Formats: sequence, structure tokens, C-alpha cells
Amino acid sequence: MTRKWYHIAKAEFYVLTSGLRRHRKVTVTIMYVLAAVWAAYFAPMIIGGFLGAIMPMEVMRTLLMVMFPGLMRTVILFLWALLLLFPLSHALQEIKIGQWEIFLSNNVKTRDILAGTFVGKIPMYGLIVMVFAPLLISPFMLAFEVSLIGQALVYTVIALMVLSTIWLSNFITAIIQARLGDSSRGNDIAKALSVVVALIVIIPMYGLMLFMPQLSGILGINAFLVMPFTWPADLVSWVTITFNGIGLTGSQILAFGAILQLDMLTSALLMAAFGLAFVPIAITAADRVFTISAGVRTETVTTVGRENVFLRGIRSFAKGPFGALTIVSLKDFGRKAQNLSKIFYGVVLAIILPMLMQQITIVEGEVFEAAEILPMISIMIGVVGVFPFAGTGFLESKDQLWIIRSAPKGASHFMRARVATGFMMAIPLSLAPTIAMTLMFNLALLSAVQIFCAAYVTVCGAVMVSMGITAQNPNYEDTKSSAHQTVLITSMMLVQFTLIGPLFATIFLDIGLGFNLFRFMESIFGLSGFMVVELVLGPTVLLLVGGLMLHLGIRSLGKVEV
Amino acid sequence: MAKNDVTIRTQRLNKSFGTVQAVRNLDLDVMAGSRFGFLGPNGAGKTTTVRILSGLLKQTSGYAEVCGLDVNKDRDAVKAVTGLLPETPGLYSKLSAVEFLEFIGALNGRNGSDLHRRIDSLLGILGLEGRQDDLLESYSSGMKQKVLVSSTLLHEPKLVFLDEPTSRLDPSATAIIKDLILVLAEETDTTFFICTHMTGFAEAVCDVIGLLNEGELVTRGSPQELIESAGARNLEDAYLKIVGGKVDREVLLAWR
Repeated sequence: MTRKWYHIAKAEFYVLTSGLRRHRKVTVTIMYVLAAVWAAYFAPMIIGGFLGAIMPMEVMRTLLMVMFPGLMRTVILFLWALLLLFPLSHALQEIKIGQWEIFLSNNVKTRDILAGTFVGKIPMYGLIVMVFAPLLISPFMLAFEVSLIGQALVYTVIALMVLSTIWLSNFITAIIQARLGDSSRGNDIAKALSVVVALIVIIPMYGLMLFMPQLSGILGINAFLVMPFTWPADLVSWVTITFNGIGLTGSQILAFGAILQLDMLTSALLMAAFGLAFVPIAITAADRVFTISAGVRTETVTTVGRENVFLRGIRSFAKGPFGALTIVSLKDFGRKAQNLSKIFYGVVLAIILPMLMQQITIVEGEVFEAAEILPMISIMIGVVGVFPFAGTGFLESKDQLWIIRSAPKGASHFMRARVATGFMMAIPLSLAPTIAMTLMFNLALLSAVQIFCAAYVTVCGAVMVSMGITAQNPNYEDTKSSAHQTVLITSMMLVQFTLIGPLFATIFLDIGLGFNLFRFMESIFGLSGFMVVELVLGPTVLLLVGGLMLHLGIRSLGKVEV
Repeated sequence: MAKNDVTIRTQRLNKSFGTVQAVRNLDLDVMAGSRFGFLGPNGAGKTTTVRILSGLLKQTSGYAEVCGLDVNKDRDAVKAVTGLLPETPGLYSKLSAVEFLEFIGALNGRNGSDLHRRIDSLLGILGLEGRQDDLLESYSSGMKQKVLVSSTLLHEPKLVFLDEPTSRLDPSATAIIKDLILVLAEETDTTFFICTHMTGFAEAVCDVIGLLNEGELVTRGSPQELIESAGARNLEDAYLKIVGGKVDREVLLAWR
């Protein structure tokens, strides 16, 4: 009798570690040994040293104790969100229910599929937790001088939370994949969801980094006692308190108990009940989850309607083939949920920076002028312009490229239309941070216009860089491919360095040749030299680099294969 | 281009990918208005030849000319007079059939009412008039193939390369494509270069057949000539006799 779940788990593990190929076993073993050494020795040492450098442990202890256990809930929320949503986001990038057909036709029980896919995920995600958890937990272990038994118990609680969360995530992933189905439409929605899901992980991360006191305060309130991440967090808090080595008094422990509300046993029981409850639920529901849909012909058919005013406007403005190509390109881009979710993601990123700056204004009492905000925003906006256009939303397959290439100057015509589409999409991406900043800082209309123009030019430059680089190395919608990662990282780095480059060049000019470009610019324009360099020179260079990348991209896309 | 002019000419055409020789010393003449069937097993070099002739791939050595144009020097001119139906569909899932064909038309420098009239006519002939505004993601593979056939013919090319045109089509759609090829070749002098595994289709449509095996043209002639020279009953039988591929019953069961 073969253990079918085991073979599914093995296949799942092979897929997750496909980058390691033949050296998989050795590499994974080494990674686990290194992670264990990291968790047991290096992470506490580094964190201890780092915290010691910031402030004495007594002060840190007092600070942690004030925010404890809301802070612990924040830390566990981050781990929980990471474990629940990262595998989900990863799985949604590529719907794989075609494999279910193979499983079911080979008489594999649905519970075996569920168990196999779950077990297969544990090694890699377990490793991720082994790296992250000590970083987050060590400050508490050090501050409360938790005994070795206590630390072992804390990590046991975290391990159990990891298992139950991966099980839940695996189950939710299967449900979503089954609902979306293995179709073009389903894949598109799945990819869009994967971006949104990633955003949900990023928010607690930002919260952890920047708004820790506020978030801890919010999560410390009783309403969060019903949230599943609260129970393991409170259990870890109880273990930490119980096995402390700093001699907490009975009244102090009682005070913590009052904040935690539920005692150790109740927290442990709730955590165990939540984890265990989902095992029978998932197994019972497995037969209904792992079903094969009837195929694309039974799906909802979308029929396109009459073109809207905007598209008709473009058609009457640009009457030739370029206008027609731009309209088709806009339709193709705008109808893909994953592109829209990336635009949404970009808008959120673009709004986060002004929010952070407002936070600094509140906390540190600094007041920002538009002139100070603009250079900072331009660098952030560069990232916003890259994300929706680098790698994806370009060509669906190599076969599409053959079709485009088979037309005279097809690649050039195609690229021009795509860039025009990108320039139009740059409007909302530039408008979002402008509106956010204008409202948050009560800026005058002229400042708002300045911000919009600077943001728009930067986004357009980033669009050209992204599309040019993508054209040189198209990854055909495969967001898991190395080509996609290369395109994304190269585009990001190039845009960032191009925007910051003039600043460094100015400094080097001053040091090397004694020529102060800032002062020179100030004498010509009568404005702050720094602002001119960063707002005019950076985006100008970016446009030039973007133009060059586009030129190279068009050449590469239209080249004859050898 | 008058009938009996040569539309495709290759001389000692070679193409290698590393150590793999995809096309080997190919000498070919295809006359204008003819329907040339390019047969051969998987990996024989048919698609590679089509890509070289349509200006998408550079040959390793040798010479190739299409409609009097050097495929190396006049690529854009070659593309303007040829149409290519690729082996696998590269459609835009989020466009409708009309929008996709408008895209292809615009890539070839066409737009406006004339283009839309052609799109409507072609989709009507291929039986897609009721679904022309539905997104292509909801199309079956046969319907997608029909859209691709339309996109290949849209700009009225003088030479049409069809790579496996009927592999996803049902018998009635295959019959329409067959008739469309025959009528276009006879009435407009369009030359068809058809790569296919469907020997029945090739026998019914093509006036000349070339058989490619391991990159080499092993024989050419009319379907009847090939059948007679191989002493076969039909083109499929002739193909199997020339290329091989018949396996004994014992071998078929030996894996058990």
C-alpha cells in the first residue's frame, strides 16, 4: 500500500525547492542546521547586542513590560499573517488544479491531497519561521530572562501555531483555487488576489516597524480576544511571565493577568481547539473542495460593450493605426484584474509615504515644506511607476511575440502603443500621492501642481525603464520565473539609482573638482540647488535612461532570432 | 506575381541550434498560386523552416527568397507580403475576436471601416459572427484557431504560412478552411505553404507535397506521385513507408 499523501507531499516539496534541483537534500539540510544555529545562538546574541547599543536593558525591560502583551500580539499577528497569506499569495500566482485531475483519476482520496499538500509545505515555511521568529521573540526572552524550559515552551507554542496556520492556509488556498478554476479568467483573478494578499502582509509589517506603540495599544484591547492569533500570542506571554528570571512579583503577574484577561489554560485550550477544529472541518469538506469544473465553455462569458467616451476620444484624436493599437492596448491592460490590483498596490504605496511623513510630523514635531517633500516623494514614486509595468501586463506568451514580429515593424508599433498606455496609467498613480499630500499637509494649489508634475514625469520615466527592460527579457506572465524577478529588480534598481545618481554626482563633483553644482543651480534658477538637482536633474536623467531602455527594448523585441 | 513565378526559393538552407541540425541543405521551389504541403514527423524542422521564410529566424547558412525578396535583407517587406498562422495560438485572452483582429490589422498598418468590414466578413465565413464580441478567454481551442486563421488572411498576403491549421478544428471547420484555401489560391493567386500532420487534409488541399525528415527534404511531388512512387494506398501509407513509424503489435505490448 503506497502512502499517497507522502508522494504528493514529496512533489509539493520538490516544487517549492525547484531552484535547488539536484542538491536539494544537502542544501535543505545545511539550511536547517544554519537556521537552528541562528535561532539558538546568533539571533539572541545579535538582538541582545543591538538592543544594548540602543538603550540599557533595564530601560528596555520597562518599555517592553509597558507594551507587553499588546506587543506580543503584534509580533504574533505578523507571523500569523505571514504564514497564512504568503503561501496563499504564492499559490495564487499559478492555479494548479490541473493536477487534481491527475490525483482524482488515480483514485487518490481528497484527504490525501489535503494532507500531502500540507506536509509538503511545512519544511520551507517552517524554515522561514525559524529565521524570523527568533528575531521577533528574542527581545522578550532577553528582557524577561526566560529560562531554557520557558524558551523551549515558547518555541513549541510557535511551532504548533505554525502547523495550524499552514493547515488553515492550505485549506483556504484549495477553496480559492477550486472557486477560481484553471482558466484564463480564474488565473487572472488569482494573480490579482495574490497582490492584494501581499498588501495585507505588508500592512502589519509597516505597523510593526513604524507604529508599534499605537498598534500594540490597539491590539491590546479586549475585542481582539476573539482573534485566533491572540491565543498563541497570549499563551507565549503567559509562558514568558511564568518562566521569567527577573523575579516578577505576584502583583506584577496579577497585573499582566488582568491585561491578558484569559488565563494560560484557557488560551492554550482555545489555541488547541482552533487548530484541531480545522482538521475534521477540512477533511470533511475536502470532497467538495477538490472538484474538477466542467471547463471554459461553462464559465460566464464576458461580452464587450460599446467603447466609452475616453476610448472614443482617443480614437477621434489619433485616427491612424497608432490610435487603434493604443486603444486595444488599453483594453487589454485595463481588463486584467492583476494589472488593476498592481495599480491599486502602487497607489497604496504612494499614499504610505505621505502618511509616514505625517507621522514624523506628529511624533517629532517636524514641519515639512513642499520643497522638502518633493525630492523624497520622487524617489518613492519611482518604485510606484515600476511595479505595475515591470515583467507583467506585457506579453502573455512567446506565441504572441511571434504574431507581433510577423508584422512589418510590429515590435516597434506594439511598444509605442504600450508606452502610450503606460503614460495614461501614470495619471492615477501620480494623482493619488498628490491628493494625499495636499490634504495631509494643507498644501496650496501651486504646490499640489508641482508635486503632480514631478510625480508624473518620474512615473513616466519609470514606465519607460520598466517596459524597456521587460522587452529585453520578457517573462510572459510567469511571475515565478527568474526572468520576472530579474526584470523587477533591475527596473527598481535602475530607477532608484538614476533618481539618486545626480545627488551623488554633485557630491563627487564638489569633492573631486571643487565645483558646487547645488550653488551653481541656485545662482541660475534662484531656487534651492538641492531641489533643482533632485526635482529637475533626477527625472530628466530618468527620462533619458527610460528613452534609452525603450530603444534597446524595441530593438531586442523586434530582433531576428538566431 | 504571375502564376508559374517562383514564390519561395531556398538554396542549401541550413539551421542549427547548438548541436541540433534542424534544417539540412534545403533546396525548395514553390510556385505562385500553389498549395504546398510540408509534411514530416514532430521535430523534423517544419516550423523552423516557416520561421526562417517569414523573416523571424536567421538561418545558419544558405539562401532563402520569398516573393523575390531576400529574407535576410528585406525582412519588413517579406512580412508585408506574407501571413503567418503560428503552431500554437498566441491570442490576447482579454480581447474580443473583433478587438484582436483590429490589433493585428493596426500592426499591419490598417484601420477604419475597410478593416472592420473585412473582420466582419471573415468572422462570418468562419461561423463566429454570434461570438465576435465575446472575450477570447471563453473561446474553445477550435474557435481560437478560426480567429487566428482570420488574422493571417486579414491583410491579404500574397503568401500564407499555415503551421498546423486544422489541428484543433472539428471536421466542418476543417472543411471551411480547406475550401477557403482552395478558393483563395484559385481566385487571388495566393500561395499557401502548409505544415501539417494531417495527411488526409494535405491530400485534399495541396497540389505539391514536400516530405521533411530530420531536417532534410526526402521527397517532393504531387500527392498522387508520392503515393505511386511509394507503392502505397494513400498519402498516409506513403508517409509511413517513407518516414517510418509503424510499430509491430508485439512491441506495442512489450512494456507491460
